[in-house]
Amino acid sequence: MSDGKLSRALWEIPIPAPPDAEERGRRIVAAAFAERKSGRSELWGAMTPPTSEGRSGRPIARLALGLGIATLLAALLLSPAGAAVRDWVGDVVETSAPKPEPELARIPGGGRLLVQSAAGPWVVQPDGSRRLLGDYEEATWSPRGLFVAAAEGRTLSAVEPSGTPHWSLTAAARVSDPRWAPAGERIAYRSGAELRIVAGDGTGDRLLARATAPVAPAWSPSGDAGLAYASGDGRLRIVNSETGEVLATAPALPDLFRLEWGAGGAAILETTPQALRLREVRARKVAPGPALGAGRMLPLPPGVSLTGAALAPERQAVAAVVTRWRDRGTTSEVLVFAPGAAKPRSLLTVPYSLGEVAWSPDGRRLLVAWPGADQWLFLPVGRGKPRAVADISTAFSPGERAASFPRLEGWCCVR
Amino acid sequence: MAVESEADERQLVREAQDGSSAAMARLYSLHWRSAYRAAYLVVHDAAAAEDIAQDAFLAAVDALDRFDRRRPFQPWLHRIVVNRALDWARREALRRRVDGAESVFEPLPPPQEIGGEMIAALKELPAEQRAVVVLRHLLEYTPGEIARMLELPRGTVNSRLRRGLDRLRESAEGEQLAEGQR
Repeated sequence: MSDGKLSRALWEIPIPAPPDAEERGRRIVAAAFAERKSGRSELWGAMTPPTSEGRSGRPIARLALGLGIATLLAALLLSPAGAAVRDWVGDVVETSAPKPEPELARIPGGGRLLVQSAAGPWVVQPDGSRRLLGDYEEATWSPRGLFVAAAEGRTLSAVEPSGTPHWSLTAAARVSDPRWAPAGERIAYRSGAELRIVAGDGTGDRLLARATAPVAPAWSPSGDAGLAYASGDGRLRIVNSETGEVLATAPALPDLFRLEWGAGGAAILETTPQALRLREVRARKVAPGPALGAGRMLPLPPGVSLTGAALAPERQAVAAVVTRWRDRGTTSEVLVFAPGAAKPRSLLTVPYSLGEVAWSPDGRRLLVAWPGADQWLFLPVGRGKPRAVADISTAFSPGERAASFPRLEGWCCVR
Repeated sequence: MAVESEADERQLVREAQDGSSAAMARLYSLHWRSAYRAAYLVVHDAAAAEDIAQDAFLAAVDALDRFDRRRPFQPWLHRIVVNRALDWARREALRRRVDGAESVFEPLPPPQEIGGEMIAALKELPAEQRAVVVLRHLLEYTPGEIARMLELPRGTVNSRLRRGLDRLRESAEGEQLAEGQR
């Protein structure tokens, strides 16, 4: 084999990469850079040492987990910094991860999960059984879980949870961020930088906005035609998806990576690597349609980066996952901001980074991804026993040479 | 701005040092893929490769103020990536020897995809040989540059490279032979 052939082969060999690995790293690096610029050294002065095992090194994580949890928690809770953390959060409910079960035998609280692996999206049934839907890059539930909208390249498809394709359309540019309206009659999606709308049966595809930021749009949960999106000029806009009329607009947070409209339609949550803002949405007094309130920044502990956040389905409660880097290693914490509470409640603190968080359909539990330990954590927000499930990567990487941790796309529909 | 030269890259580094988030984001976009691929080809573990690539960029952010603008950014980043990947591979090998833990690698199914044989052959090499093969033939550094990156005598780099390539070629020839017999 010639040197040229070897070089080409090394560049062209297909290698597995966890979904969103590049994007996840981009956010964390951007947050680190922002911290550096702001001159706050707490986060980055004690950066991961050069020989660190890394954020989600599963084998090392497994090896170190027993000792690591005890050491890190002791450090966290007994050190001056830990004392500050204890003072800062409103209440510490639980500080250690439960012993993991070997596999997902049932979904606590019921419902179905949509999970994106390197091979494509999977539907997980309440009994833990799972099905790969096909070769799609991202997916989202329809409101009652009867379909999944899935994107691959320039194609948007509606697929039944059994994997049977229902319809497909081909867009002019790469399709991303599909979101199905709560009433089920429309799907919003991005094609390149455009925001487009198509009917739930695949007909009537049309342009809604030309320049959007790379953030998924968010439908009004009230079932009306309202759709929120981040525009390319850094604005948060609510538009009437039928007429295209801009109903409300306000500046969006810089570096926005997630937009969610929840709490029964009463609030929009903006998430960036460094900030969470909850904007009240209320009816206009002088004309029909929504108005955006000024918004409230949710207080975060100093020196943390947000890796996930989610707004509860029916109330203004927010779950957030924050990660902090210290010289003893990375720790992550799950926080819940209850409506009106001055401080968040800490549900859990673990070593290594946590990933996405999702509320259960009834708003009583959280599902938190823990790539570093290759686990999912099911955490009750009120009373109840937390559960952990191990070997998530393997469960969603059958037959693959290197298992990769999947991304949680949604928890749907207790029927 | 397309980065077509070291001068463009130096400009990005300068702008990042001056606080430009866009310049840092551009550096990340330009180099993440090669950093991840290099890390993966040394450690053969996707989660570890993600960590290594990410840690290398975090280290770059941390050291940005101290970075000598006259030096190229890419070799500096790749040096961090490959050294961390080597650290990881060595620790993993030690762990398996010490506690007899099961392999961190998923069982290999019969190769079917393009390049599957190459991945398998590369994985059979010692981590030190994998690292120099990746630096030479993926990232296209000269043996002298590799020696400086890994702080090794140049002769050691050459011998690791030669042994690694010999084994990869043996593997490739074996496959061609087998292919011809099918």
